[in-house]
Amino acid sequence: MPTQPTRAATVEFRHVTKRYDPRATDTPGAVNDLSLAVPAGKICVLVGPSGCGKTTSLKMVNRLIEPTSGQILVDGVDIATREPTALRREIGYVIQQVGLFPHQTIGQNVATVPRLLGWPKSRLRERADELLALVGLDPAAYRDRYPSQLSGGERQRVGVARALAADPPIMLMDEPFGAVDPIVRERLQNEFLRLQEELAKTILFVTHDIDEAIKMGDLVAVMQVGGHLAQFGPPAEILASPASEFVARFVGADRGLKRLSLSRVGELQLQPAVMASVGDDSAEARKRALADPFPFLLLVDAERRPIGWFHQDSIPSNGKLEVSMAIPMSPLLNRRTTLKDALSLLLDADVQAGIVVDRRGAVLGLLTVDMIAERMRTTAGDGRFAPALEAAGESAPASPA
Amino acid sequence: MLDWAWIVDHLDDLAARTIQHLALAAIAVGVGFLISFAMALWAVRRRSVYVPISAIAGILYTVPSLALFAALVPITGLSILTAEVPLVLYTLLIFIRNIVAGFDAIPADVLESADGMGYGRDRRLWQVELPLAVPLVVAGIRLASVSTIGLVTISGIIGDRFGGLGFFIFEGYRHSFPTEIFAGALPTILLAVAVDVSLVAVQDRLTPWAQPVTAAGRVRPA
Repeated sequence: MPTQPTRAATVEFRHVTKRYDPRATDTPGAVNDLSLAVPAGKICVLVGPSGCGKTTSLKMVNRLIEPTSGQILVDGVDIATREPTALRREIGYVIQQVGLFPHQTIGQNVATVPRLLGWPKSRLRERADELLALVGLDPAAYRDRYPSQLSGGERQRVGVARALAADPPIMLMDEPFGAVDPIVRERLQNEFLRLQEELAKTILFVTHDIDEAIKMGDLVAVMQVGGHLAQFGPPAEILASPASEFVARFVGADRGLKRLSLSRVGELQLQPAVMASVGDDSAEARKRALADPFPFLLLVDAERRPIGWFHQDSIPSNGKLEVSMAIPMSPLLNRRTTLKDALSLLLDADVQAGIVVDRRGAVLGLLTVDMIAERMRTTAGDGRFAPALEAAGESAPASPA
Repeated sequence: MLDWAWIVDHLDDLAARTIQHLALAAIAVGVGFLISFAMALWAVRRRSVYVPISAIAGILYTVPSLALFAALVPITGLSILTAEVPLVLYTLLIFIRNIVAGFDAIPADVLESADGMGYGRDRRLWQVELPLAVPLVVAGIRLASVSTIGLVTISGIIGDRFGGLGFFIFEGYRHSFPTEIFAGALPTILLAVAVDVSLVAVQDRLTPWAQPVTAAGRVRPA
């Protein structure tokens, strides 16, 4: 069956306030004059400490909670004018405890919203199978099981499949990967991001975990207790220039390191490597290596695939270069590797230069720790709210290249 | 010890009384369930009425059964109402408490996701809440059935026309005839056990999802 056209909608909060206690504005879960706009097809993460109103904000979008004042617009239409159950059937909803119906099979669970919408029976089953396959669960194996027979990670996938069942333009996700162990969480996050590349839904995503927010968000809204929006912007901007002391503290003293996870090797101008092939003349190679400030020579095979390093001083002055003389390889990176992963690999390696290779494994160039440090310096923010510890980490003098 | 000849002679009576016993119990459990269900739903939707409702049911439950049957005779005469009203009243506490507990046991996240996906109130009640309350509701029906089957014997106090198998207990007592007491008591116990066991089977049929995960036979092989 043909895949349905993907749809997305804009979501806009206009001066939305929610008070649980009319006298106090800071009760947990309260929201104070929240205004933000999420473009269609983007993931907006609401992040903040508990009680900051992020879940309240999310639940106002599908009217599980009604705002005290202000408006929420979906595709420009005030949702207060919509009938709540009809509105909810157009908005996917995923929560931390998943909330699968224990008395229904996985197939029935996934088909919930289409069933409420009155789709014909045969279509329900078809749709459930499609979605199970989409989230990586074999329909034949899973559709007739009950939720109690699934692992936590499998239940989360079913929760996502169920939310997508009627192809809603908007998804609300409240700590959707919060109840599974870190390894499963990482996998689910990656799968979801891949899925989102195809689906391009408008997603509001709540988490208390800043790392998850940075990873998942096209936009991040940092909220603080009392339901104030502390900062709203792309993750790189929030990490580079926190708008307040609170945001700086919340994103953490290691925000410099976190920024590394937002950049990829391909964004940097790589350092050319001095290379020689197996069987090349040693003397000539030695001469070239000594002429280059980088003290190592990279041995490659006929396809320019890396084999190992020679220190410039230990290259024999005559004879041919042999594989057995090379010292072990440093980490192989590709253009998609994040700078954070690259740095971590580099710090562990004997030769602190990463070899960046293309898809076929041929050398593109080198990446050094100094290049990463330089990149961080040039993209750093104004540092207004950088506590001393952080400042030290960011402006540490670079060792001479 | 037992006068087997008497038992053989009275098999027809025993059968008729067993049927009457079951009928009296079934009416009481059925009517009690309907009243309790309405009360429990009210209490689930308006929490404030739960305490008074369960207090009234609790007080009724403490009234001695013998006294209640006797006290009703001047009001309702020797009609079937005199037998059924106390039997029904005694089921209320069990039913109301179990039905409310059944609704309370539904995980909050299930209700939240039902709301979030666009279930209306009535649809959520019938398609989500009620099925999930079934285990505790059936537990209530089992308790109420067993207790009512026991109480039906006491309704024999209001006359020969009632009491089910209890009729034999009263008669045997009056004539100091142990066989007849035994002929009333043992089938009553067997009846209670049989009804309980069949209700367990009914519950298993109603809640395939609640069976142990080890019931791997229900999982279609991949």
